[in-house]
Amino acid sequence: MLTAAIFVPVAGAIILLLVPRLSERATRRLSLGLAAVPLVLLVAAWARFDGGSGFDLVESVPWIPSLGVAYTVGVDGVSLPLAAMSALLFVVALAYPADRRGRPRQYAAAFLFLEGASLGVFLALDLFLFYVFFDVSLVGMYFLIAVWGHGDAQRSALKFFLYTLAGSLAMLLAILGLYLSSEPRTFDMAELIRQQPLGANGLRSVLVFLGFAVGLGIKTPIVPFHTWLPPAHVDAPAPASTILAGVLLKMGTYGFVRIVLSMMPDAFQRFSTVVGVVAVVSIVYGALVALAQTDLKRMIAYSSVNHMGYVMLGLAAAAAASSGDADARSLALSGATLEMVAHGLITGALFLLAGSVWARGETYDMDSFGGLAARAPAMTGAATLAAFASLGLPGLAGFVAEFQIFAGTFAVQPVLAAVGLLGIVLTAAFFLRMLQRVFLGPLPERWVSWPDLGRTEVLALAPLLALTVAIGVAPAWVLDVIETTASALVGP
Amino acid sequence: MAESLLVALLVLVPLAGAGAVLAARRRSPGTVAALALAPTAAALVLGTAAAAVQPTTTWRWGGQLEVGLAVEGLARVMVVLVPAVALPVLAYAGGNRRDDPGLPRLLALLVAFVGAMLALVAAADLLTLLVAWELVGACSWALIGHDWRDARNPPAALQAFLTTRVGDLGLFAAAGITVVAAGSARYEALGALTGWQASAVGAGLLLAAAAKSAQLPFSPWLFSAMAGPTPVSALLHSATMVAAGAYLLARAVPELAGAGWLSSAVVGLGLATAVAGGIVATVQDDLKRVLAASTSAQYGLVLIAVGAGSVAAAGAHLVGHAALKALLFLAGGIAVDAAGGGRLGTMRLGRALPLPAVTFAVGALALAAVPPLGAAWSKEAVLAAAVHHGAWAGTGVVVAGLLTAGYAGRLALLAYGPGRTTERPHPPPRSEKVAVIALAGATVMLGVAWLPGAGDLVEGLTGGRLFESTPGELAVSVTTVAAGLIAVAVLDRRRRLLALGLPATVRAGAAAWLGLPALARRSVVDPTLALAQALAAADDRVIDAGVRTAARVAAGCSRALSWWGERGVDGVVRGTSATAVRLATASRRGDERGVDGAVEALARGTGTAGRHSRRLQTGLAHQYYVLVALGLLAALVVAAVGS
Repeated sequence: MLTAAIFVPVAGAIILLLVPRLSERATRRLSLGLAAVPLVLLVAAWARFDGGSGFDLVESVPWIPSLGVAYTVGVDGVSLPLAAMSALLFVVALAYPADRRGRPRQYAAAFLFLEGASLGVFLALDLFLFYVFFDVSLVGMYFLIAVWGHGDAQRSALKFFLYTLAGSLAMLLAILGLYLSSEPRTFDMAELIRQQPLGANGLRSVLVFLGFAVGLGIKTPIVPFHTWLPPAHVDAPAPASTILAGVLLKMGTYGFVRIVLSMMPDAFQRFSTVVGVVAVVSIVYGALVALAQTDLKRMIAYSSVNHMGYVMLGLAAAAAASSGDADARSLALSGATLEMVAHGLITGALFLLAGSVWARGETYDMDSFGGLAARAPAMTGAATLAAFASLGLPGLAGFVAEFQIFAGTFAVQPVLAAVGLLGIVLTAAFFLRMLQRVFLGPLPERWVSWPDLGRTEVLALAPLLALTVAIGVAPAWVLDVIETTASALVGP
Repeated sequence: MAESLLVALLVLVPLAGAGAVLAARRRSPGTVAALALAPTAAALVLGTAAAAVQPTTTWRWGGQLEVGLAVEGLARVMVVLVPAVALPVLAYAGGNRRDDPGLPRLLALLVAFVGAMLALVAAADLLTLLVAWELVGACSWALIGHDWRDARNPPAALQAFLTTRVGDLGLFAAAGITVVAAGSARYEALGALTGWQASAVGAGLLLAAAAKSAQLPFSPWLFSAMAGPTPVSALLHSATMVAAGAYLLARAVPELAGAGWLSSAVVGLGLATAVAGGIVATVQDDLKRVLAASTSAQYGLVLIAVGAGSVAAAGAHLVGHAALKALLFLAGGIAVDAAGGGRLGTMRLGRALPLPAVTFAVGALALAAVPPLGAAWSKEAVLAAAVHHGAWAGTGVVVAGLLTAGYAGRLALLAYGPGRTTERPHPPPRSEKVAVIALAGATVMLGVAWLPGAGDLVEGLTGGRLFESTPGELAVSVTTVAAGLIAVAVLDRRRRLLALGLPATVRAGAAAWLGLPALARRSVVDPTLALAQALAAADDRVIDAGVRTAARVAAGCSRALSWWGERGVDGVVRGTSATAVRLATASRRGDERGVDGAVEALARGTGTAGRHSRRLQTGLAHQYYVLVALGLLAALVVAAVGS
């Protein structure tokens, strides 16, 4: 089932590339149908998920037995919500109107290929397989930015590609280090989690931790490895930005949970304060730089730096030392995981809306807008909801996650939590300023014929915003799934 | 079960009602107003029932989190007060704004505001409280910015929201610490806190309450809140939003035994705000701003009562103030509409608008604490508590009382004094008259508090205690009120009531919250924005420069590699370097500019190679696998060194 979720879109991508002369309409229908397959499968997987400890729905085939490499996929309470959220984002992003530049088949193929690769990252239970999917996903995103982007798209795409590839290489070294430390040598994640091959001390342990920290930190991104993100976002087409922020960034933080926190918790614990400080810097720095932006998309991009900082803070707290506060650390971890899901939904919606703004105004300069609420009440409503969700308003998904992160962190690293809280005021400042600059005040003459959201746009945004509200009001259905793994991971 | 339903409905009915109002936005203003009044009236019935039954309910959020509602203690008073004040305000809004196409949005938000406030007072724990607390804040943002087409209003809403959100951090921290330290965020759990956690929670709650209840140094946000329509101010200043901070402290301070310093800090903060707010209100020459400064000052008195250990006095004063402040805003709003602005120098509309004038006078007398009005009784109760806490606190309350009598009398005379104009401007609609009469009636009715035995009832309803008031205290208090009113009359006789004989610069400085907004701008807002700008610039130039340098170094390395490769050291390396040569050539073409050059070279190469992206793919995949190979090589080296 999970294998089908990964390879149906990939196969679909190949089919789309091979079949010439497919009408735009047929392409659209076929690709949407294919993109929805993983979503359906993952919802079914959710229904069958047993909530026990360890991995569920595992499928395994030997691949390179001599190296201990196998094709193994499966889910647990952390990967399942992330994979399901990703599958949903791919469907709505692919459905969203965007300028296909006369190449609808290739556009859809790139999306489907990227979908398969991304789901592979979240579902892989073999480090080697994880790495392959992790890197292959870069290729799909590279093309989406370079070919369908605007502005200085090729340069941004290359910068994104090379920078994150450099991160992948650091991670590859770390993966090999971990592999060489295991006995018997294996890439199998469940086995590595059982073995815990590296302790807290020793040069190799430190180097391997550093490799993962830099590699995954670039992907996340955490300050100061974030400078590839803003140009990539600004020049990417909006649906690709949605995937970049909603899915690709999560690969970094997911890697921290899946690999670092699970396989080398002692080393993570040793560096948890450092990671916590970096996370708080990301939170405050990202928010401050976002506050200074005049470009809508850059602002949302920096808000991602801020939000991924929350995730890292939760992970640092979960990894932090000490016995007896397992409850608090589990709270932080479940908050961090939920924040990944919530950020995917919320920022996904924000980037789609930014795309709608671009499609109508051909600019992201917030100061050139104003008063759009008069012409586009639906767009204003959606943007207001998404902005409030992103700034952590209760009743919406982000709040539940952020509250858990900070509550957990206060028990372990109260000073970091207190400083990090400043981010909550700053996010409110820049999001409300954005609403004010773009949607409120007098309407400039040039936008008097600004059209409101179309039907496709509303239909695509609706599930994201509805889930944001659903998780915010009644988070139990997600938290219980996350909690099965979170409590086991930080267990005494 | 029935209990759970009752308390859940208390919150859900107004929230659903808000949705219904929005859904009916194309109906006539009358229908929309009726749709807004219905759920509020239902909430009043439910609230009264809940106050009697004292229901509780909890709901699991997942994991370790739980949210809950419980109508206990002071909440029993608040669940009745909130919808009771909201009803006349909504009626007023329906008439006052009947020509506004945004009326459905205004009413829906007001009803949602009531629902959120009901959730806030019925919250059984700090997490639920935080949820409601922020929803109230978000509603206030939308309400203050209601007339969003005017470019001045959204920034005012932003300022109000951000100021209160600074305080929200305190509640956020307090709730988070309590959840993990005590295993639950319920009010009772606060008692289990000790040490730094108790102090941190106390400080967080104080910060949150100070911001929400417009205490020093956050008071000026109430001036920004004036950008909202009159009914918004009336509701925000009376039973919702601003009341939340004082309510929170009234519930939490008695429980939080681990932070011994907290009660004195609450008294001190309340006292400072009561006196400062009194001064600011006295020198103000804008009607709504007098009322706004007065709100800060009156909640200062409520805080004094809370800190001094008399939740009963705090609750009583909160109720009395809610009725009179809603009344003053609505009746004052009629004057503002008639005069075309809030400037006090141009009003004196007593003869033109006799009915609003009378009701306004009732509110002003209650504010001035003239017996036998209810607010006078609660002020005496606050004074008794303050004296019990310390002589300095008692003295402060007397000074604040003098100022209150002064600005209340001055405001009443300047707004609705017998002036020369008798021409009736625009008669206020019936709903406005009904609203002010109802609130004036309620303000007078609260005088029953002076009846014997009322004290026991107040103690029973609020779950707090009252302190015995001595006849001497009463005499001093009444005398100062009289002195304040007489001073107003004398100044009026000498035609100095508006300017108070003070230089304009002094008045302007004091009226602008004693310079607090300017201080906040210079010390917090401007530096933050400057820092943000500086960081954004540094982010583009400095941090990214490191990346570009690395790219340049990498290009240099590849050049070196290619040189090495050309010498043909061995076959594997030759294969590697052959591609490295290509990389190097690409970067050499772009030359000094590292990645930029490489990109341009690549772009140019792509352009000449054709428009087909598939060609691009081949080229890149190549480079890609070369880098992977290099990485593997390096990995093996590291592994060899490591083992």
